[in-house]
Amino acid sequence: MSAFFDAWHYDGKSAVRRKVEVQIIGRQFFLLETERRHGPFAFSDVEYVTHKEDADVYGLKGADGWRLMLSGPVPTDLNAMLPAPRNYGGWVDRLGFGKAAVAFTLASAAAVAVVLLSPQWLAPLIPSSVDEKLGDALVGDFGGRFCSTPAGDAALKKLVASLDAHPDDLQVEVAKIDMINAVALPGGNVILFDGLVKQARSPDEVAGVLAHEIGHVREKHVMQALLRQMGLAVVLGGIDGNSGALVNNMLSMSYSRDSEAEADAHSMKALGGANISPIGTASFFDRLSELDGSASSSTSDNGIAGYMSSHPLSRSRKDAFEKSIVKGKNYKPALTPTEWTELKTMCTQDRKAKSGFGFDFN
Amino acid sequence: MYDDLSQRHSAFRFHGSWLEFARIAFPNLLLTIVTLGIYRFWATTREREYLWSKTDFIDERLEWTGKGMELFVGFIMAFLLIGLPLIVIQLISQGLIFRGEAILAAVMTLMMFLLLFYLTGVAYFRALRYRLSRTYWRGIRGGSDDPGFQYGVAYMWKSVVGWLPIFLAVPWSMISLWNDRWNAMSFGPHRFSATAEWKPLMKRYLLFYLVPFLVFIGAVVFGISMAASGGTPDTLGSTGMAVGAIFAVVAVLSFYLFLPLAALAYYSKYFRLAVGGLRLHNLEFDFRARAPDWILFFLANMAIVICTLGIGYIFMPYRNWKFFVDHMEAYGEINIDDLTQSETVVAKHGEGLLDAFDVGAI
Repeated sequence: MSAFFDAWHYDGKSAVRRKVEVQIIGRQFFLLETERRHGPFAFSDVEYVTHKEDADVYGLKGADGWRLMLSGPVPTDLNAMLPAPRNYGGWVDRLGFGKAAVAFTLASAAAVAVVLLSPQWLAPLIPSSVDEKLGDALVGDFGGRFCSTPAGDAALKKLVASLDAHPDDLQVEVAKIDMINAVALPGGNVILFDGLVKQARSPDEVAGVLAHEIGHVREKHVMQALLRQMGLAVVLGGIDGNSGALVNNMLSMSYSRDSEAEADAHSMKALGGANISPIGTASFFDRLSELDGSASSSTSDNGIAGYMSSHPLSRSRKDAFEKSIVKGKNYKPALTPTEWTELKTMCTQDRKAKSGFGFDFN
Repeated sequence: MYDDLSQRHSAFRFHGSWLEFARIAFPNLLLTIVTLGIYRFWATTREREYLWSKTDFIDERLEWTGKGMELFVGFIMAFLLIGLPLIVIQLISQGLIFRGEAILAAVMTLMMFLLLFYLTGVAYFRALRYRLSRTYWRGIRGGSDDPGFQYGVAYMWKSVVGWLPIFLAVPWSMISLWNDRWNAMSFGPHRFSATAEWKPLMKRYLLFYLVPFLVFIGAVVFGISMAASGGTPDTLGSTGMAVGAIFAVVAVLSFYLFLPLAALAYYSKYFRLAVGGLRLHNLEFDFRARAPDWILFFLANMAIVICTLGIGYIFMPYRNWKFFVDHMEAYGEINIDDLTQSETVVAKHGEGLLDAFDVGAI
C-alpha cells in the first residue's frame, strides 16, 4: 500500500524547512523531497506535539526537533495511523472534560475527607514509643525550666493521681514561665506554666486545667492534630500560598474547637470522679475572660503551637463547668492548704530552675 | 538561505485572540479548582502551547513542547527536597527554643534562610533554561549545559552587594545577574551574549529611590511657604484645617501614586537595556516598550482584574505574553543552514523550584 500527501518537515538537525510528500508503506512511512528520501519512520514512534496556524504538528520519538506538519484535510488512511491530538492532557482527554471534572471533584472531596477524618483512628495506631520519642525530642528538660521541690512534687503527684487512673504514663511538670497557660505535648507531657499556678485562687482551679490537659493526652488530640496538619499540608499543597494556608487554618481551627470541648468534658468527668468541685475552674475561666489576650499568645503561632493545645477564653466554657456542679454533693478540696502552698511556691523555692524563655517571647 | 530582518516590520508577531484564550483559560480554572490546584501545571502548559503557537518569529510559529507532568514532577521534587526539610527544620528549631537553645535555633534558621536564598537564584536560572529548552522554532530549540549552581552563588553575593550601599547598587546587581543568566544560554548552535550596561539605569533608579524624599521635601516646602505667608492652620481656622487635611491626602496619594509610577519607569528602562544588550550570533534584540506603555499596560491589567472581580486574573498570562511579543524586536540576519540543533542537555523536570517560591514572571 502506498499513498502520497503533501506536508512540511523539519529534520531536527537544521532549521531548513522542507516540503515533502508522505509515502505510506504499511506501518512505516518515508518523507520524499525532490532529491532526497527521509526514512523509513515507524508510525508507532510518531507523537502529537501541538497545533499551530492550520497545521497539526507531529514529532518523532528519539529525534529531537523532528517535525511533520500536516494541514488541510488529511487522508483517512494517514489519519488512522497518527496519534490523537492532545488537548487537556492524558486523563482528561480520555475521560472527556465533563466526566473528568466530576471525577476530580469526587477524588478531591474524598482526599480532604480522609485527611480530616483519618487522624481520629490513625492516631491510636501510632506506637507509644514514637509518641514518647517525639515528646522527649521536643520537651527534654525544657531548658532547665522545670521547678522541683520534694513537697511541691508530692503535691503535684497527688493531684495527678486523683485525676487520672494511670498517672505513670503522664509527665506533668510546672515550668518557671510567667504565662497563664498550660500545654499538652506528645508523649504524655503536660506542662503547667508557673504563671497559671501563681494566679490560681484554689487548687481546684489548677485541677480543672490539669484535667483538661490530661484530656488532650488521653483523647490523643496532640497526635491527631499533628497528623491532620501534615495531611492538609500535603493535600492543599497544590493550591498556591495564601488561599491554601487559609483553608488549612480554617479546617484545623474547627477541629481544635472540637478537641477543646472534648478535653473540657474529660476535665469535668475527672473532677467529678475525684470529688473536686468544678466551681473553681468556672471562676478561673471567668477571670481569664477578663484578662483576655494575656493567655492566648500561643493560639496564633504556627508550628508547635499548631498541635500544642491552646486555651481560647470563652464564657460558654465557664457556663459548662458551672452546669456540671452537682448540688448537694460533698466536694472536697483538691489539695490540703499546706500542699497547695507548696505547689504554688515551688518555682519560687526552686532557685536552680531557669526562668522565662531565655529571650523575650512576646 | 538568508533572511534579512531589516526588510520586515517586526520579527515577532502575535496572532492570538483573547476569546480563543478564554476557551483555554476557563476550563483550566475549573479543572484547577476541582483538583485542589494540581491541574495548574497542565493548565500552564496548555496556555503556553497556545501562546507560543500564536507567535510568529519571522516566518514560522514558535512551539512550546513542555509537559504538565514535567512541571508537576518539578513541584514534587521541590516539595520533597525543600518543603519537607524546611518543615522539619522549623519543628526542630522550635523544639530547640523550648529547650532553651535559642542561639542554636537562630543559627539553624539563618542557615535555612541562606539555603533558600541560594536556591532562589538557582531557580531563576533553571526556569530560564527550562523555558528555552522547551521552545522550538523550525525544529530547533535552546537550552544550557550549565546547571545553574554557580549562578546561585553569584545571585547571593551580587544581591547582597546591591543592597549594601543603602540599596544604591541594585541596578548593577540586576543587570549583572541578567547578563550572567543569559550568557549561559544558547539557541541552536549559538550562544547568547548579554552585555547590558547598568550605568544608564542609574538616573531612573535614583528617581524611584528619591520619591519618598521628594514627597517629604514637598511637604516641608509647602509648610514653610504656609508659615512664611503668615497663615498657620491655627490662625486660618477651619479653612486652614481643611487645607491641611487636603494636603495630607494629597501627600499620601502622591506617595502611593508616584512610587509605583517611578518603579515602572525604572523597570521599563531596565528591561529595555537588558534586552537591548542581548545578542544571538548575528541577531540583535530590542524591547520597544517605554515607561508610558508599561504604565498603561499595568493600569489596564488592574482595571481588568478589578472590573471582573478577580476573574480577569486568568487573562494575565495572555496579556503579559502579548505585551512582551508586541514590543520585542530583532535585527540582523539568520543563516537557516547554520542554525543546527542544540546539543544542550534536556532536564526532565520543570520549574519546580521557581514555582515553589512563587516567583514566576515573564
